Amino acid sequence: MIGQPDAPALSGSTVPRSRWRWTASRREAAWGWAFISPWIVGFVLFTAIPMAMALYFSLTDFDLRRPNEVQFIGLANYEQILRDPNVAQSMSITLRFAVLTVPPTIALSVGLAMLLNSPRLTGRRAFRTLFYMPTQIPLVASTLIWIGVLNEETGWVNGLLTLVGIQGPDWLNDPGWVLPSLGIVGLWGIGAMMLIALAGLQGIPSELYDAAKVDGAGAWTTLRRITLPLLTPVLFYSLLISCVGVSQYFIQAYVLTNGQPDASTLFYNVNLYREAFSFNQLGYASALAWVLFLIVLALAMLLFWSSSRWVYYAGERR
Amino acid sequence: MDHRYAGSRRRLVLASIISLIAVACNSATPSTAPSASAPGASQNVAITPEPVPTSQGGLTADGKVLIRWFVGLGTGAQPDQIADEQAVVTEFNESQDKIVLSLEIYQNTTAYDILSTQIAAGNPPDIIGPVGFRGFYSYGDQLLDLQPFIDKTGYDVSGIDPKILDAYKEGFGGQVGIPFAIYPSFIYYNKDLFKEAGLAEPPHKVGEQYDGKDWTWETLTELAKKLTVDKAGNDGTSASFDKNDTSQWGYYMQWTDPRGWGTQFGPGALVGSDGKTAQVPENWQAAWQWYYDGMWKDGFIPNGAENRSELLNSDNAFQSGNVAMDFVHLWYTCCAWPAEGEPQAKSFDIAVPPSHEGTTTAKLHADTFGIMKSTAHPDEAFEVMTYLLGNDKLIARYGALPAVSSKQDAFFTALEERFAPNDIDWQVARDMLAYPDVPSHEADMPNFLKSDAAVKAFQETLITTDNLDVKAEAEKLRNELQGLFDQAD
Repeated sequence: MIGQPDAPALSGSTVPRSRWRWTASRREAAWGWAFISPWIVGFVLFTAIPMAMALYFSLTDFDLRRPNEVQFIGLANYEQILRDPNVAQSMSITLRFAVLTVPPTIALSVGLAMLLNSPRLTGRRAFRTLFYMPTQIPLVASTLIWIGVLNEETGWVNGLLTLVGIQGPDWLNDPGWVLPSLGIVGLWGIGAMMLIALAGLQGIPSELYDAAKVDGAGAWTTLRRITLPLLTPVLFYSLLISCVGVSQYFIQAYVLTNGQPDASTLFYNVNLYREAFSFNQLGYASALAWVLFLIVLALAMLLFWSSSRWVYYAGERR
Repeated sequence: MDHRYAGSRRRLVLASIISLIAVACNSATPSTAPSASAPGASQNVAITPEPVPTSQGGLTADGKVLIRWFVGLGTGAQPDQIADEQAVVTEFNESQDKIVLSLEIYQNTTAYDILSTQIAAGNPPDIIGPVGFRGFYSYGDQLLDLQPFIDKTGYDVSGIDPKILDAYKEGFGGQVGIPFAIYPSFIYYNKDLFKEAGLAEPPHKVGEQYDGKDWTWETLTELAKKLTVDKAGNDGTSASFDKNDTSQWGYYMQWTDPRGWGTQFGPGALVGSDGKTAQVPENWQAAWQWYYDGMWKDGFIPNGAENRSELLNSDNAFQSGNVAMDFVHLWYTCCAWPAEGEPQAKSFDIAVPPSHEGTTTAKLHADTFGIMKSTAHPDEAFEVMTYLLGNDKLIARYGALPAVSSKQDAFFTALEERFAPNDIDWQVARDMLAYPDVPSHEADMPNFLKSDAAVKAFQETLITTDNLDVKAEAEKLRNELQGLFDQAD
C-alpha cells in the first residue's frame, strides 16, 4: 500500500522484493538533499578535495620551487614531525595560549552577556552594538592598529598605565608579555561569542527564575543552579569553537609578531605557514596540517564524549 | 533507544564531527579564534604602478612579448625607488615595439613567499631583481644560464671584476647572473653628534689613527661609549649612566644578521670547507660576544626593543639622528634620506671601519638580476635584462656602485649631487672595495632557507634577551645548523 515502508526481504524467502518506489518520504528526502547540495558541492570542492590533496602531498617531498619534481616519500614527513623541535615548540606555545585565553574569553563573554541581559542596564542595544562592532572590522586592519595601541612608548595601553603610575611592559617585544598581549587583542573581539551567550541566556525560561525567587534563592544560587546549567549547551559550543580556533591561530601572530620575539609566538599555524611558504616545503607543511587536523578531531571527540556529563539540553531525558 | 539504528547513528555522529572540524577549519570563528584566511592581504598586493597586461603564452593581447619583472627580493620596493623604476619601464616600452616590460613590486617581507607561490602555480615572472646572493641561493636552480646569450649577443663583461662575475657561476651550474651593482660597507657617522660631544670625527683612511690611538674595535668601543647618552645627559663612560634609559647610542650595525656582525672581526663562514660541517669561526664568536656586550652590558648598541622603538625610527636607526655611527652598506643611501621631509641625521659623512688584529674588513654586497628558466621568451628577457643592467638611473636610485668600473666615477658624481650640500667623502666607499669579506658572509649554506632562518632566530634571541651565555647559544646554533645541513644530504 502507498506510504508503507518496504518490507525487509527475508533470506532464502520466495517472496518477491517490492520495486523501488518514489514514496513521499523519499521525495521529501530528495528535496532536502537538493537544498543542501550547494553546501555539499562547496564542501567537496573547497574542503574535501583540498584535504585529500593535502594528504597526498604529505606523502611527498613537494617543494614549491620545483612543482614538477614531486616524489613519493611515504611517511618521512610524519617522522620528521616527531623529530622537529620547532613542531614541539609551536605545539607548546599554542597549548599555553589556549590555557591562557580560552577560559577568560568564555568567562568574559558570558559575563558581558549577563550584564547585557540585565533589565537594569540602560541602553542595552547600544552596548550590544558596541561590543559586537570589533568583529566587523577586517582582522588584518585591526591587528595593524593594535601594533600602535600596544606600542611601548606611544601606545594607549601604556599611556593609561602611566597615568596610574605603572610602567607598562614592551608588549610585543618582550617574550614574557607577548602571549598575554595577543590574548588582549583576542578579547577585543569577543562580541560574537557574547551574542551567542546572550541568546542562550534569553532562551532560559523565566519561570525558572520566578520559581527560584519564590523559593528564596539568591543571585549566586540562581546562577549556579539555573543559569549556568541551562547555559551549558552554549558553553559547550563556545568551548569547542574556541579550541578549534586557537589551534588555527595565525593572523594576529603573523601580522603582529611573525613568530617573534625569540620564537615566543611561533604558533603551530605560523610554523606551518613558514614551512610551506618561507621554506617552500609544501609536502612537510601538508603533513603538519594533517597532524593538526587529527589532534583537533581527537579533541573535539573528547569534548563531545565529555558533554554527556556536563551539558544539559532542555527537554533531554537521562 | 532504538538499537537497530545505533551503529548508523554513531557513524553519522562521527561524520558530523569530522565535517564540523573540517568546516570550522575554513570558517570564521570569534575572538581568540580568528579565521585562518590568507594573511596580510595588503602585503601580497603588488605595489605595481600599472596593471599587468593579460598574456597568453607570454604574449600581450596585441601580440607583443610580455616580460614580467619581479622586484622585491632585494632593494627596489622603497617608495622613492618605485617612481624611477616605473620611469625606466616606460622609457623601455616607448623605445621599441616588440616587447612590453611589466613591473611588479612586492614588499621584501613577502616577496620570497609570493615568488615561490607563483612558481608553484606555474606563473613565474621572467626577470627577478635586483637581488643579492640570498635570492640567488634560494632560487639558484630555477635561474637560466646566461652564458649562451652572452656569447650570442656579444655582451661585454670585460669591465667587470672577474671575481665578482665568477661569484654568479660557482655552484650554480652556469652563469646565472651578470654583476649589476656592488655595495661596499663603511661607517656612516652623524657629524652633529660628534660636534655636540666635542669629539674628533673617525678616520677616513685605513691605517689612520684616531686621537693618537690605532683605529681598532677597542678604540671604537671607547668612542661609542662617549657618544652614548641617557635621558639625564650622562654618557656611557659615566658611573651614573643608565643603560635602560638611553636616548642616543654610539654604534649600530643596521639591517644585517649575525653573519654580518661576525665580519666586523674578519671574514668567516658557518659552513666548513667540506660544504657540510657547521662551524662558528673564532673571530665571529668574539664579534658576537662584543656585539652582545655592547647591547646588554655597556649599552652603546641598541638592543631589539630599542631598535624597534620610535626613538630609532622603528628600525631605521641612523635616519633617526640618535645613532652616532652605523656600519652599513652603500645601499643605505637609498634610505638615509626619507622620501619626504628631512632626516634627523642631516649632516653625515662616512669613515673606514676599525681593524681587528691588524685586519680591516668591509663586507660587500652585490646585486643583480636573474632570468627564470621557465621564461617563454629567453632572448627578449635577456634583452630587457641588459637594458636594466646598463641603466644608470636605476643604479643611482638603488644607491648601487656599478660593477662596471668605467661607470663608477659618474655614479659618485650623481651621489654628490644628490646629497649636496652635505660634503661626503665617497673615496672611503671606493677604498673599501679593497677590503671585501672573502668568503662572503652571504655565502651559500646547505638547506639555505632553513639555515638562514636559524641564523635569524639566533639573532632574535641575542637582541631580545639579556644575561645569555653567548658561547652556549652559538653552540646551540651550530648544532641546529648541523642538523639542517645533514637534512640537506
